[in-house]
Amino acid sequence: MSTAITRPADSIIEELAARKRWRLHHIAFAGVVIAFLAWCADGVDLRPKELGAALPAIGEYFYRMAPPKWEFAEVLWKPAVETLYIALWGNVIALVIGLPLGVLAAANVTRSAVLRNCAKAVLNFLRSVSELIWAIFFVAAVGLGPFPGALALGVNFGGILGRLYAEALENIDNGPVEALQATGASRLQVIVYAMFPQALPQFVTYNLYWFEVGVRSATVLGMVGAGGIGFELVTTIRLFEWRETGVVLLLILAMVTLIDLASTWIRSRIY
Amino acid sequence: MISIRGLSKTYTGGVRALHNINLDVPAGEFLVILGPSGAGKSTLLRCINRLVDPSEGKVFHDGAEITGHRGDLRAIRRQFGMVFQQFNLVKRLSVLTNVLTGRLGYRSVWRSLAYSFPEADKRIAIECLARVNMDNKAFQRADTLSGGEQQRVAIARALAQQPTVILADEPVASLDPKIARQVLGYLREATQELGITVLCNLHQVDYAREFSERVVGMSRGSVVFEGTAAALTEDILHRIYYREPGETVKEEA
Repeated sequence: MSTAITRPADSIIEELAARKRWRLHHIAFAGVVIAFLAWCADGVDLRPKELGAALPAIGEYFYRMAPPKWEFAEVLWKPAVETLYIALWGNVIALVIGLPLGVLAAANVTRSAVLRNCAKAVLNFLRSVSELIWAIFFVAAVGLGPFPGALALGVNFGGILGRLYAEALENIDNGPVEALQATGASRLQVIVYAMFPQALPQFVTYNLYWFEVGVRSATVLGMVGAGGIGFELVTTIRLFEWRETGVVLLLILAMVTLIDLASTWIRSRIY
Repeated sequence: MISIRGLSKTYTGGVRALHNINLDVPAGEFLVILGPSGAGKSTLLRCINRLVDPSEGKVFHDGAEITGHRGDLRAIRRQFGMVFQQFNLVKRLSVLTNVLTGRLGYRSVWRSLAYSFPEADKRIAIECLARVNMDNKAFQRADTLSGGEQQRVAIARALAQQPTVILADEPVASLDPKIARQVLGYLREATQELGITVLCNLHQVDYAREFSERVVGMSRGSVVFEGTAAALTEDILHRIYYREPGETVKEEA
């Protein structure tokens, strides 16, 4: 090995500084971004002044919630459990819909561009219609209750999870895939033995996270009659029963925190 | 017996990896293919088990043509075990399950989807693990093993295919010299006992001298030497490793 210097260190340090220096086009780019944000601010009718004036009013709402009317929890526990059921079954349905579509949408699994793009189009459609809109459709189709809520979550989350599954599959190491092809394994066997095991921790992480998201979403679904704790939330707000509203919000916070703790624990076990 | 006739491969994008390779490998031989990185050794092995389709030429295995026809790829591939530089085990599966994947080429898709194998396959897998002295770690996850241990499991996986040929692509390039010799030793011992032909890519001359029955030297997509390891003179090694582009190649008798 030769250690002859082909270039003085000083010149490399100088070039490093020069590369870091803000150039005119950097400043111009930042200017364009700021201008664009300002233009959009007009579009959303940003009124920071009024927000500032309204802040005490919002604080007032929370003030009225104290002290929470704990007896109300007796009425609440049933819809709260129902919310968990909706989130759980929403995730199961999302898995059933998202996994096959995600496999079809992954470039390293599905060679046919036509098939892949069809799967992506379906996923995009499921994802772009929000769970609240799906809930309205499903309430109309199967009636009020938790069932349309679970369906709505399942269909919307299926579109999201399918996309995430596809990305997880695309990021796996190709070496084991090649090794299993070399054993004479069929395409499906390669997917199940070389691809799924590698992507599994990602799959589990995504499902746990979207279960948590599902609990939060299910609290809203009640507004359109799709079951869960959302119905009580809206009702107490409409009736100005602030102390009851406080209990509902605390219960939702407790559920989300518990799920977060549980999923952290599960994820630490699966890697 | 493997016969390679006029084999060429040009990848899309114009990289010419192989140029008119002619080679015969008798059954049961331990052949080392020696050459620098980029000589086309990997492509040559992958043309034999059809992981790569050659642009021209044919490969025969015991008289039957492997290349060309669209035939049953699974049936072709399962005759050739393969060992890789990066081991390529499925890290999250157990040692035993990794070896069992060597049986997938023989098994129906539907049963294997449930991670279920017949008892006969389990016995084959355990026997193959015992050959590389890894049966005591059958239930350990593959990612808990050292590099040398992983490669031994990978050899067991290849053996589990009950292949007639093992294609080893730089099997010891990422191992230290002591472990490398041990792994090559296991490979030679198992294949000799079972009468398996081995085509082993290497770039280290020492190992070629130590383990090969015959050496093929490759450079820039062509075979530039064929003979015993003893015949590897400095001159020939120079030709394998330092051939300049455009330099004419004398065909070795």
